[in-house]
Parts: sequence; C-alpha cells; structure tokens
Amino acid sequence: MSIVEVQGLSKQYDPPKGVLAVDDVSFAIEHGEIFSLLGPNGAGKSTTISMLSCLLRPSDGDALVDGHSVVGEPQAVKSVIGVVPQDIAVYPDMTARENLVFWGRMYGLGGDELKSRVDEVLELISLVDRQKDRIDKFSGGMKRRVNIGVALLHRPKVLYLDEPTVGIDPQSRRAILDGILALRDQGMTVLYTTHYMAEAQELSDRVGIIDHGRMIALGTHAELVRIVGEEARVDITVDKALEGMVERWSGLRGVTRATIEEDHAKLLVGDANEVLPRLFEEAALGGSRITSVNVSEPNLELVFLHLTGRALRE
Amino acid sequence: MNRVWTLVRKDLLETRRDRLSALFIIVMPLAFTTFFGIMFGGGSDRLPLALLDADGGPQAQRLAAALEGSDAVRVVRKGAADFEPWMTDGRAAAGLLIPEGFSAAVEAGEPAELVVVSDPASSGAQAVAAEIRAAAGRLVAADRAARVGVEAAQAAGEDGADPGQDGAAAGQDGQGTGSTEVPEMARAVATRAMEQPAVSLDVVPAGAAAGQIPSGFVLSSPGMMVNFIMFSLMTAGIALITERRNGTLQRLMTTRVRRSELVAGKMAGMFALTFFQQVLLIAVGQLFFGVDYLNDPLALLLMMIALSLVASSLGLLLACVLTSEQALIATVVIVSMGVSALSGAWFPLEITGPAFRSVGHLLPTAWILDGLRGIVVQGYGVADVLPALGVAVAWSAGLFGLAVARFRLT
Amino acid sequence: MSKILAIAWKDLRSTMRNVPALVMMLLAPLALAGLIGFAFGGGDSFQIAATKVVVTSADEWPPGSLPMHGPPALAGETFVAILTSEGLDDVLEVTEVAGAAAARRRVDDGDAAVAVIVPADFTAALYGTEGTTTAVELYVNPSQEFGTAITESVVTQALLDFNGARAAAAVAAAVAGDSAGHEAAVQAAAARFVQDGGVSTALALTDRAPHSPAGEQGEQGSTIGLVLAGMMIFFMFFGASNVARTILTEDHDGTLPRMLTTPTTASTILGGKFTSVFLTVTVQTIVLLVAGRLIFGIDWGGLEVVAVLTLVAAAVASGLGLLVIAVVRTPGQAGAIGAGVYLVLALLGGNFTGTATTSGTYAVVQGFTPNGPLLRAWDEAMRGGSLADVADDLLVPIAFAVVFFAVAVWRFRRRYA
Repeated sequence: MSIVEVQGLSKQYDPPKGVLAVDDVSFAIEHGEIFSLLGPNGAGKSTTISMLSCLLRPSDGDALVDGHSVVGEPQAVKSVIGVVPQDIAVYPDMTARENLVFWGRMYGLGGDELKSRVDEVLELISLVDRQKDRIDKFSGGMKRRVNIGVALLHRPKVLYLDEPTVGIDPQSRRAILDGILALRDQGMTVLYTTHYMAEAQELSDRVGIIDHGRMIALGTHAELVRIVGEEARVDITVDKALEGMVERWSGLRGVTRATIEEDHAKLLVGDANEVLPRLFEEAALGGSRITSVNVSEPNLELVFLHLTGRALRE
Repeated sequence: MNRVWTLVRKDLLETRRDRLSALFIIVMPLAFTTFFGIMFGGGSDRLPLALLDADGGPQAQRLAAALEGSDAVRVVRKGAADFEPWMTDGRAAAGLLIPEGFSAAVEAGEPAELVVVSDPASSGAQAVAAEIRAAAGRLVAADRAARVGVEAAQAAGEDGADPGQDGAAAGQDGQGTGSTEVPEMARAVATRAMEQPAVSLDVVPAGAAAGQIPSGFVLSSPGMMVNFIMFSLMTAGIALITERRNGTLQRLMTTRVRRSELVAGKMAGMFALTFFQQVLLIAVGQLFFGVDYLNDPLALLLMMIALSLVASSLGLLLACVLTSEQALIATVVIVSMGVSALSGAWFPLEITGPAFRSVGHLLPTAWILDGLRGIVVQGYGVADVLPALGVAVAWSAGLFGLAVARFRLT
Repeated sequence: MSKILAIAWKDLRSTMRNVPALVMMLLAPLALAGLIGFAFGGGDSFQIAATKVVVTSADEWPPGSLPMHGPPALAGETFVAILTSEGLDDVLEVTEVAGAAAARRRVDDGDAAVAVIVPADFTAALYGTEGTTTAVELYVNPSQEFGTAITESVVTQALLDFNGARAAAAVAAAVAGDSAGHEAAVQAAAARFVQDGGVSTALALTDRAPHSPAGEQGEQGSTIGLVLAGMMIFFMFFGASNVARTILTEDHDGTLPRMLTTPTTASTILGGKFTSVFLTVTVQTIVLLVAGRLIFGIDWGGLEVVAVLTLVAAAVASGLGLLVIAVVRTPGQAGAIGAGVYLVLALLGGNFTGTATTSGTYAVVQGFTPNGPLLRAWDEAMRGGSLADVADDLLVPIAFAVVFFAVAVWRFRRRYA
C-alpha cells in the first residue's frame, strides 16, 4: 500500500459560487520516493498540501497518510508528517536550540528523548556551533535550515516541503536539494511542491503536474516526456540563404522536420548530438555559415506547454 | 503642494478603510464623552451625605433637619454598621457623625462635638464638609447668641453698670454659664437673626458663565478631549510604521516626491484626523451638554489648531523615531498619560504643588487646556489665548524639525 | 498539560526579551505613579497648595452716629484681619488690594482664585438697625473648584461669628426691652459673643478620613499606593494585550498554522495562550508590588488578601486582553482599539483619580466597571482590611472576568475551527 493515497480531493472556497482551488485530485506516493507536485503559481499546490497537513478541510474526497484519514484522524496524521512551510515559521527572538526544544514539545517529545533528538537534528542541519544564537541573527540560508530541522524532530514518515527554494541563492538551494536527496536515501518519503521544472526533474522519482486545480499529468520524468515525443528541437540561424539551407537540411537523416520561423530555422530532430555535425557539414557544402545554434531537449516545460498551451513560468 | 495633498488623501482613505480602527478613533471618545456628560452634565448634583445620629436629641434633630433642607446635599441616614462603608464605597461624598451628648452640650452652652468624615482628595467631599460646618455653625451660633444675649441682658439689668466689665468678669469663669435658662423667645429671636443674617455671602463666578458655577463635566470636558486626542496618535503612527515596514514608504521616495513633502504630507494627515476628532467632541459637548465652547469661536478655532499642531507633530516624531508598533503603542500611552497628568487634564493643577505646576506649564498642552477652560468658563477671547497658541506653535515647530531630521525610510 | 506550559513559558520568555513591552508593563506604571506622587508633594498624604485670595474692604463708618456704640474698629477691617491671620496660612494665601475692580481683575487675570469684596455698608448692616442687610461678594474663578470651596468655607465661618454677634445683640435687645440697660446689654452681648470665641468654640469639630472596616484604628490608606494600584491595573491591561496579540502575529507569521500541523489540538494551543497571558500579568503584578514596596514604601496589606487581589486582577486583565484580540483582525487594530478601551475603562473606573469621587452617580458607575471595585478592594487592603472585607468588592470583577473569557473562547473557537 502506498504511504500516501489521495482520493478525489477537492477544495472550494466559499461554496457554492466560490473558487474551486483543487478539483478532484488523486495520486499516490510510495514509500521512500520523492514525489513532486509541479505547477505554476495559483495552480492549487499549496491548497493541496494544506489539506494533506490537516490545516484545511477538503470539500470533497479524502487522503490516507500511513493509513490514517486526513478528514477523520487528523491528530494521527500529524504525528507521522513533518511540514516545512514555504515561509520561515520559527521564532526569531529565540535561539536555534530553544526553537527546536519548543517544537519538539509540540510534537509530543520530552525529557531525554527530546534532548538527544534536538542534538541530532542540530547535527543534521549543521548548526551545532550556532545553536545558542538567536534566529534573527541568522542568514537566510541558516534560517531555512532551522525551518526544515523543526519538521524532522519527531522522525516523521513523510516530509512535506512547500516550495522551499523560492527566492534563495543558488548555493543555499543546492544545499537544500542535496539535503533532501540525502533524506530520501535514508528512507524518508518526501512530498515536494515547486514551480521550478529543473528541481522537479532533478529530485523526483515521480512528478504530478497540476494546473488550475486539476492533475493534468502524472508519472516518471521519462513517462511524462514521452507525451510530447522524444524529439529535440534545434534552432539555427545562418548568414545567408536560409531557405536553401532549410531545404537541404530537411532531407538529412535524423531530421524529422525543418521549417522557417521568422528569421531562423526550426528543426525537429531525433538525437541532437548525432545530427548536429551533419547539419554543420551541410551548411558548409551549401556555402552558408551557421551563426547560432540552440538545442532544446524534451523536458517538463515542453510537456506543460504541450498540455496547457502556456509556459510553466508565465 | 499637489503631491502633499495627494499623500494626505491617501492616508485618510486608508484610515477610513480600516473600519474597525476608524470606528474606534471616532466613536469611542464620543461615546465616552456622551456617557460622562449624561452622568454628570446635569448641573449641580445634590451630593449624598451620610448621617449617623447617635444622639437623637432635639439639637441633633434640628441639625439634621437643616441639612435635609439644604440645596447642596442629599442626606442619607445610616446606622452605625454601614456608616463608614457608605463612604469608603463611595456612595456618600462625606459623612456626619453626631455623637451622643451633642444636644446636651449645645443646650448647656458647652463645646458640642461633631465628627465630619471626608476624603481630603475629593472636592465633592470638601464641598459637603463645608456645608456641614455651615449648617452646624448656624445652629450653634443661634444657640450661643441666645444664651449670650440673655446673659448680657440679665447682667445689664442686674446692676445697671457697664456690663462690659461684668461680662468680662463672667467670661473669666470660662463658659460656666450653664445655669442660665434660655427662654424660647430668645432662641426664636436668635434663630431668626441667623436665618436672615445681616451679612450674607454672594458667590459670583468670573467670566461669561451666565452666573452659574459650571458642573464638573463642563470643567473636565476639555481635559478629556486632550487626553483622547493624544491617544489617537497611536493609529496614525501605526499606519506610518506599517508603511515603512512593507516598503511603500521607500518606494515613494523613488518617485519625484521630496522628503519634506512626504513628511509634511504625513503630518497634514494626522492634523486633519485630530482636528476632525476635536470637531466631533466639541460639537457633542456644545450641543448636548452645555459646554460653551462657542463662547468665542475664533479663540476656539485657534486652540483647536494649536492642539492639532502639537498632536500631529508629536505623532510624526514618534512614528519617525520608533520602529515597531509595540514600541509606538507603549510610547504613546506613556507620553499621553504623562502629558495629560502634567497639563491638568486629570486633576486641576491648582491642587498640585508649585514644582509640579511649573513643570506642567512647560508643556504646550497645559497652556492649551488653560485656554480651552478659559473660553468655556471665563469668556476668554482671542487675545487671551494667543500666548497658548504661541507656545503650541513653537513646540510644534521644534517637534516637526526633529521629525524631519530623524525621518527614516526603512 | 506540558504542551500548555511549554507555550506559556515560551511567551513569557519572549516578553522578558521584549524591551518595549517591559517598559510598558513595569517602567510606565512606576514612573507615572512617581509623577503623580510628585504632583502632590509625594508620600502618604494628600496636600493641596494654598489658595490665592485677594481681599478688599470698602467698609466705612455709616453717616451719622450709630444707634449703639460702635465697635472699636470697622467690622470690615476686622474681617480682613481674620482672613490675613497666620492661622489660615496653609490653606489661604491672602493679599489685600485696593478696590473691588482691582480685586476682580486679579481673578480675571488668573493671579488669584477668589476675590473677597467687603461692601461699604458692612459695619452699617451689622451694627445698624435691624433689617439692614448686605452681602460680601466672593468673585471666583469657576475652574478652581477646590480653592473656591475652601475660601467659601472660611468666609462663611467668619461671617457666622459676625452674624452671631449681631444675633446675640438682638436677643439682648429683646430681653432687655425698654429698660435702662438696653444699650449696654446690646453692646455687651455683641462683644461677649466674639470674646467667648464665637462659633468655633461652640463646636468641637473633628475632621477625619473614612475608616476602613478594619476598625477605628485602621491605617490611613496610602495615596501613592492607591495611585500605583490604579496604574498597575491599567498597565496590566496592556501587559495582557501584548501577549494576547501574539495570537494574531503568530497567525500572520506562520508559527500558529505550523503549530496546527503538529499533533497539538487547537484547544491546547488556545489553552496555552490563555495561560501565557495569565501568567505574564501575574508576574507583572508581583514585580510591581515588590517595586512599590521597595521604591515607595507602600504597605499593600495582608499576604492572603494581596494574593487573592493579584489573582483576580490578573484574571480580569487577561480576560479583557484576550477578548479584544478575539474581536479584532490585525495586530495594528488590536493596539489602537485595545488602548482606547483600556483608557475608557480606566477613566470610568477611577484608575487615574483614585477614590476622589465627585458624586454618588460616579461611584455607582465605577462600581460596574471591572476595575473600579478592584481599586476599592486594594484601598481596603492597604487600610488593613481582611479577605472578608474585600470579598464583596470582588464579585463584579470576577463576573466580568468569567464573561470575558467565555466570549473570547467562543470567538476563538469559531475562528480556528
């Protein structure tokens, strides 16, 4: 049985005419996998995660987390999940250690167990040296680490991360992604929401693409990309005789299609790395010089574009 | 100037939009003033006087009757058990205890004991105590006069000599005239003479107060208004701090708005708000409770301007210097309370020590309060309030200057 | 339970690190109490400054001769001498001026609170034929209530003696009838009346302040103590509000919703917050009581009374603070609205004016505020009252506290359901 089973979850604010933020969403997350919910801003990701955190009551449907219903057994669900909110939610006038101790108590820990667990988490987030410093003195990256650490205190079975890398520097982002991968390697199940395709691609075992409250695609990276086909796109500009070159290229092996788009040539090819040298050869033979080449491998952006007609980050 | 006006309009609009706060700025002082006015604005209340008659004799009864007939007090007879509590609980302004033996002492011409119970801190209690002393004095005076008159007449009649010496000799025995019988006729003459005294007292209030001593409400109304205006600095100040926090203030400075325009705009907004509040409070006081603010409309206008100037420049300075809402609230509460106390808004400065009064008069609000009270009770005109206006303008200029210097965008 | 305590302890610790809050909760009441103490010359008793009075006498010998031998001096001069005598120095500061117009001008200019104007026929009325009357004019500044009342009282007493002498003369005249000693009797009567000491020796007046039920030997209440008690209660409202407001700020900052993602129920969180508020104001009160003792030497009363009053005051303050938060939406609103409500309650309850009531109505109103009866209870405690003495003063505050808490709980339940 999957550790998280979402069954037809819906949320409508201010029924009957209000916004339908989440519309009949279903998916499952397996033990030990990283599952991403990918979608643009306003797609319904945060609402979905709020329902799975038992913060919002679903208008319809249910979800089971480790066998417990979010509707019927919220306290049991909360005992097995760790939620890392998008915005830093720790107490700035308390030290890192004080924060962890307090939140540990909120998670029901106490006594020696709490103490040792706090030590472990401080080690995990590499803040042992700064544990007695107040959070308001921390850098953004350090604050985020505490933010994540809090959610790990009670050894949850599933970790929810709601857009944890929005607006942070590349270095901190890298650290967070590596940290999540490390957790997964230790057996943690992760539900991760984001609107960054690259992250979803890199991290996840499986991805659910959500738009306007509905799940529009679900699967591994390879499965999703297959929706748009496996062709890469190559855009080329030449110094002269564009039309002629397009004709020559369209006859080449490995080139599925070649068209003129505005001032450049758009080619759909099977394997870009294999075809590119031949394109250059052909250009030389045709007496033209290639002035720029752009190769786009099939990715989730394309999938999203294909499915919705819009870019992922509009 | 246009830009300043735009800024002011925006601020006022935002204030209006925050319904709940707007409600409180406006409704609450009004409600309080109205409530207070209803309670106390009805001219002079007959102050309750607790009376414990432990004597019961005829003199005691006469005294009680005299007090019961008084316009200034309302007698409430109490037993021994609840006499003290009636006053400690505040249900009586003051109390009179007529101990046993009072009537006998009066009739014997000996000093008659009375116990007057009053809280020295209460003007009402003092007024009641004064009334008691007056009534008791009249009673005893009549009796004493009757006795003395009879004795003098008898002495003069007895030996026809200069009764002055005789009287003096008799007087040297101390008050040992207890054996003299005082006929009723004498008492009647004395009582009548005391009831229609040769010299009475005529209390004339100065100023335009139509010959009436103003009620407690009239006197306290300006003070309450000052208190509320100071307090409302909080809302305007919080708005500025919030703006600073969410970055819109900084953004304003990337437009062509000049720093001085921005500061002036802020202050103008606060000025408008406090002025509006004053208008409401004055209207209620004038229309419903006979607080004659409109005695001299021009002088009143000057005082209103003075108060709003001081309040808005102070509010501006606080909002410029303090960074958090909490700090602002704390400071406004403490400053407004301190200023109110020092300016005479809570208790009249007349009853404080000279040191306190001088410190108080360093503050512009003390001057403004004097001006307002003067307008209401003493018919102050423009010339009388000009000094107060001057002090207020000087202070405001200083505060404003400081505010501009300390104005921060982030 | 431990979660509730964890929340309470976190908030208390946060408050202890919050400088503006500490200033408001601890420094402000002490500073303001000190300021008011300074206003009244400090310490235990209440002292009022002497009232500035000007006196002028237009009194003159009436034309012709008096029907009886007149007094050695003009009655008006005697009257002025009484007012300017040293015995009245600590209540009245009297200056003699020339002319009624000048006297009135002094009052109009604010240089004096009262002008006592003795008319030209003062002596004539007193020593003339029966039926002539006149009046001494008190021209007063109506905004100086105390001064006016005190002066009126003094002048009335003085006039009683003059009128009493005249009454004695009238009696002597009536008794003596047409006898030969008529004139002598009349003069002697008038002289005797005054020589014997007048009205003031006929009465033995004792002035005292009301006793607490603790018995006739009950201690005098401490003025500064009452002022500090009033300030304490007022600033406890703010102390409660500060902590209660964290419910809103934590909601806004995300830590409250985060708490709801842990296995901690909303009831526990609310219970924790309520406990935080109550605990904080209780600690605040204890600190202020100790400070009041150390700095101003205030004797608050018996230990058990003080303990009960502390707890009741804490309950009222926390209930009200939580109620305000339960009703508003943003922390900014909480600040402004809360402050307004507390100010009104303080004014109505007499927190700033102590027990200086002006009439019975005000006392009734005071009795129906949550803080008014509390102040009275503190007054009783400082005068040595026992628990039984303050019990009935505590009924109204406790009732208020219960209602505040109930409504707050109801509203919070609805909001965080």
